[in-house]
Amino acid sequence: MRCSFVVGAMAVLLLSVSLGCQKSSSTSSGGGNSDSRPTVAYVTNGIASFWVVAEKGVEAAAKKFDANALVRMPPKGPGSQKRMVQELLTLGVDGIAISPISSDNQADLLREISERTKLITHDADAPKSDRICYVGMDNYVAGRACGRLVKEALPEGGTIMIFVGRLEQANAKLRRQGLIDELLDRSDDSSRYDPPNATLKGEKYTILDTRTDGFDNSKAKANAQDAIVKYPDLSCMVGLFAYNPPFCLDAVREAGKIGQIKIVAFDEDFGTLQGIEDGEIAGTVVQNPYRYGYESVRILAGLARGDESVLPEGGFLEIPHRIIKKDNLQEFWTELKHLLGEPDSE
Amino acid sequence: MKKILGISTLLVVICVATSVMNPQFLTAYNLQNVIRWTGLFGVISIGAAFVIITGGIDLSIGSLIGLTGCVLPLLIMQHGWSAPAALLVVALLGLGVGLTHGLLITKLKLRPFVVTLCGLMIYRGLARWLTGDQTQGFGQEHETLRLLATGKVPLPFVTGFEIPSPVLIMLALGVAAAVFLNKTVYGRYMLALGRNEQAARYSGINTDAMTILAYMICSTTAALGGVLFALDFNLIQPAGHGDFYELYAIAAAVLGGCSLRGGEGSIAGVIVGIAVMRVLYNSINLLGIDTQLEFTIIGVVILGGVTADELAKRWAASRRAAAERA
Amino acid sequence: MSSTTPLLEVRGATKRYPGVLALRDVNLSLQPSEVLAVIGENGAGKSTLMKVLAGIQGLDAGEILLDGKPIRIRSVQASLDLGIALIHQELNLCENLDVAANIFLGREPLRHGLIHEARAAEASRKFLQMVGLDISPRTPLHQLTIGRRQLVEIAKALSINARVLIMDEPTSSLTQHETENLFEVVDRLRERGVSLVYISHRLGEVKRLADRVMVLRDGENAGEISKQDITHDKMVGLMVGRDISRFYDRHPHPAGDVALAVEQLRTHAHPRRRLSFQVRAGEIVGIAGLVGAGRTELLETLFGVERPLGGTIKVRGEATRFRAPREAIAAGVALAPEDRKQHGLILESSVEENIGMAGWFRHRLAGGFFNRRRQAADAQAMIEKLNIKTPHARQMALYLSGGNQQKVVLGKWLALAPRVLLLDEPTRGIDVGAKEEIYHLMDQLAAEGVAILFASSEMEEVLGVSDRVLVMHQGRIAGELARSQLTEEAVMQLATGAETTTVSNL
Repeated sequence: MRCSFVVGAMAVLLLSVSLGCQKSSSTSSGGGNSDSRPTVAYVTNGIASFWVVAEKGVEAAAKKFDANALVRMPPKGPGSQKRMVQELLTLGVDGIAISPISSDNQADLLREISERTKLITHDADAPKSDRICYVGMDNYVAGRACGRLVKEALPEGGTIMIFVGRLEQANAKLRRQGLIDELLDRSDDSSRYDPPNATLKGEKYTILDTRTDGFDNSKAKANAQDAIVKYPDLSCMVGLFAYNPPFCLDAVREAGKIGQIKIVAFDEDFGTLQGIEDGEIAGTVVQNPYRYGYESVRILAGLARGDESVLPEGGFLEIPHRIIKKDNLQEFWTELKHLLGEPDSE
Repeated sequence: MKKILGISTLLVVICVATSVMNPQFLTAYNLQNVIRWTGLFGVISIGAAFVIITGGIDLSIGSLIGLTGCVLPLLIMQHGWSAPAALLVVALLGLGVGLTHGLLITKLKLRPFVVTLCGLMIYRGLARWLTGDQTQGFGQEHETLRLLATGKVPLPFVTGFEIPSPVLIMLALGVAAAVFLNKTVYGRYMLALGRNEQAARYSGINTDAMTILAYMICSTTAALGGVLFALDFNLIQPAGHGDFYELYAIAAAVLGGCSLRGGEGSIAGVIVGIAVMRVLYNSINLLGIDTQLEFTIIGVVILGGVTADELAKRWAASRRAAAERA
Repeated sequence: MSSTTPLLEVRGATKRYPGVLALRDVNLSLQPSEVLAVIGENGAGKSTLMKVLAGIQGLDAGEILLDGKPIRIRSVQASLDLGIALIHQELNLCENLDVAANIFLGREPLRHGLIHEARAAEASRKFLQMVGLDISPRTPLHQLTIGRRQLVEIAKALSINARVLIMDEPTSSLTQHETENLFEVVDRLRERGVSLVYISHRLGEVKRLADRVMVLRDGENAGEISKQDITHDKMVGLMVGRDISRFYDRHPHPAGDVALAVEQLRTHAHPRRRLSFQVRAGEIVGIAGLVGAGRTELLETLFGVERPLGGTIKVRGEATRFRAPREAIAAGVALAPEDRKQHGLILESSVEENIGMAGWFRHRLAGGFFNRRRQAADAQAMIEKLNIKTPHARQMALYLSGGNQQKVVLGKWLALAPRVLLLDEPTRGIDVGAKEEIYHLMDQLAAEGVAILFASSEMEEVLGVSDRVLVMHQGRIAGELARSQLTEEAVMQLATGAETTTVSNL
């Protein structure tokens, strides 16, 4: 008796939910194999505005190259990335572009993908896997570029704090290492690793600490605030993930230390760009997530149609970093707005 | 059996609906994935059920998973311990954490919510500190050990479908837990003290010992879960590994008919409960529903299930009354 | 009196619960300024009838008239609006608020959207005066004794202009003095034109207060007694429906060896008092005293619920130091606690499980497995031996009447064959029929050599059942009375310490 009731209630619930979503899925993301277009998937390593820009690139390329593109942003680290990938494999997608959270330890997952469909990496590479190619930036080089920005902001030297979402990721590690090596005037060696929590003293520059927040916004802001309190004579904050610099800026503003504490940024968060325009942030090193998304889909769609010519030489499509400072900000910003606005204006 | 009929039917309904809308759901590959997730989360949910049945709560499960998931590879990979020794340490860690929780709750009369909430923060911080926030994993080594979580056991007479090992671990644990809970004196003690701790104590039941035991079971299965998750993911981020998992376990227990007031619940219900959640996750993706809505849909289904259950109880009670009147 | 229109009238009230016909065609009429006592065994339908009047339950059939006009009481609020207020056995007050806040809970006078505390306090004074409470309306409730809290509850009822006040076992947790005080308040209310429905098991009180007695039995009207005819025997006769001459029937039970010896015992409740006494096998020893005299604390200390601060307890010659009830039980000591529903039973568990629970460990199978067969057999034996009225052994204890619940508690212990049986208020809230059965059971157990120590607030019970009585006063044993010395006056004198002689006429 009682069960029939439960079943009834649940069936109605489930049906209404799934029907509601069926409608939206057929227009954009879901669908799977119902049409002849290739279906490709773009998997990020988390949720961030950075990836929202990439998603625009994915959408633009999907339109241009007539492909069905699914974007998956895992909300909870490796577990949900694994689950989402497996579900994409169940759907039978024709190719997956993934930003592996940790290439070494995700060898199984990458193998699982490469055995079942075409695998490329973007944003962070997995050189030991069977990925067909990598679309991204050389993070170590970008890190060193960031270090040069710090040097420009603090010609007399000073103390520096680094803020980042996760240090476990290769891109974060490399960026940080590039930054540190540049500040300490070391030679190029991207395999070096300085553990966090240890103060690194160079001739002019001292790196006090590296604070991680695990993609937790409140933590990111608290980290920045705490650093200002803990080190009253702090002279520079470097935010390595897109959302870090705006929080650093907030914290510095609240503490009334604009100018006294320089901020150097990574990526093109709106707050970061605004900060550069207002002269509160010294500069930023930007990647080009839009092109990560765009190129990934372009390559996967080509491969799905059997076109090998889409592959870059040497399996590495470098999307170079750029340095954005106040003098070239407007140009970049207009371009970014233009890129984001493109799908609408067509 | 009757108690879990409702939730089991819900599971079947979701499965049938999903496979009708997307036949890919029924592929061996997908089913194996779904039941492996169910096995992994089932292990921790079974432990959580014990605490909930005694009227308590354990919010530290996820952090303990994170801590044990970090300690195991740390000992094996960085300190060169043998796998059995490392597993032993992790098991002792789980037992010790549960014992500490239990003692604080029974002897100092601290609220379980507070004790385990602090545990949630303490173990997470410890995991990050011990590892220096470095991602842990086994790389390409220890494939044998990793079979505990990644292995598959073929079924007789069936080809193309193999049972993932976490499912077998969960089933073994589930059977042991169900027997313990329903057929032994100690399990019945837990049910009794969950309903009315004072009356149980006045009846000569060592309520403190039973409460402590429940927390030890919970933390030890969390440690086991931590090991399995670590072996399965092979990628343990100290800051996030296991985050939120206690709430899945609690939600599964509630879906499976456990009362948060204590004294009620079945192991089978908890397993079906966690299966419902895993299948929901799967079907949301397979049906192309926006993944941003994952939590919303699962929340709505749990709420709907609990509401329907409550309404059905009342309806059944009034039916019974009417029947007896006639 | 009967010629005027009744203030409140119930006609043909019928109410069914699952498995029980709680009320069958019950009639009730209440005149203005009348105290109507409603008596009956537990399960006779008193509580149901009162719940109907208070709007907690609806009727399946029948009608209710107020001032001769039919009314419908759909909710507690509706009942209050009609001027009918129920004073519960368990008080419905908030301990963390003050008296005035409790009186105006849900109807707080407001000023600018905030509670106007001064006005609430001022308005409370009048009602507190009516019930003879000379305290500040700002007194936090938790500082008041149970008796005074009850008066606050009555004041609250008066504050909504209640014309009909229903009191459900109002004296069950009051001291002698508080009881007297309550009677005076009842008299005063009657003079002010309030009508009262008074439910009680204490027939002495009924005789003292009631203008008329209405008796319910098995959900039906069993008869009415008008004021001049109210006698103890007549009331009991109608309630039970049979002769109860063997109420305190006693068999001789010669005292044996000392089963329980207490020396210089100090409890948490009264750390500076030292208690010494003995109970012999086959002896029934009563503990009398006012509320707060330390009776419950003594029994709980003997049972290991609380650890003693000092002194020795010997059970059958062996010195013990129980750290938990389970150790007391292992030594052959059992306690039927005062708070049956909280401490004695698991209400959501079955009768069978409640009886079997204490024996699970003792009767476990190899490997710690649960012995269901043994439990079922024990439960069945106890249901028969104690005449527990339950449809089946799997019935939830929740659905049993108070008397049968108490029998389940006793059954739990008898299944373990204890040597020392401690009973705390063994018949509180229990109807006459079940009381009689419990007295017989105590008598029988004593004859079998069990040492029984029981605490009771009911004078009749203490006098009727005990071989010997220990009277406690403020944590010490004020005196000991042998059966030959037992009189109500003697007990009260000891129980009240110095100011004895003034409070004695019940």
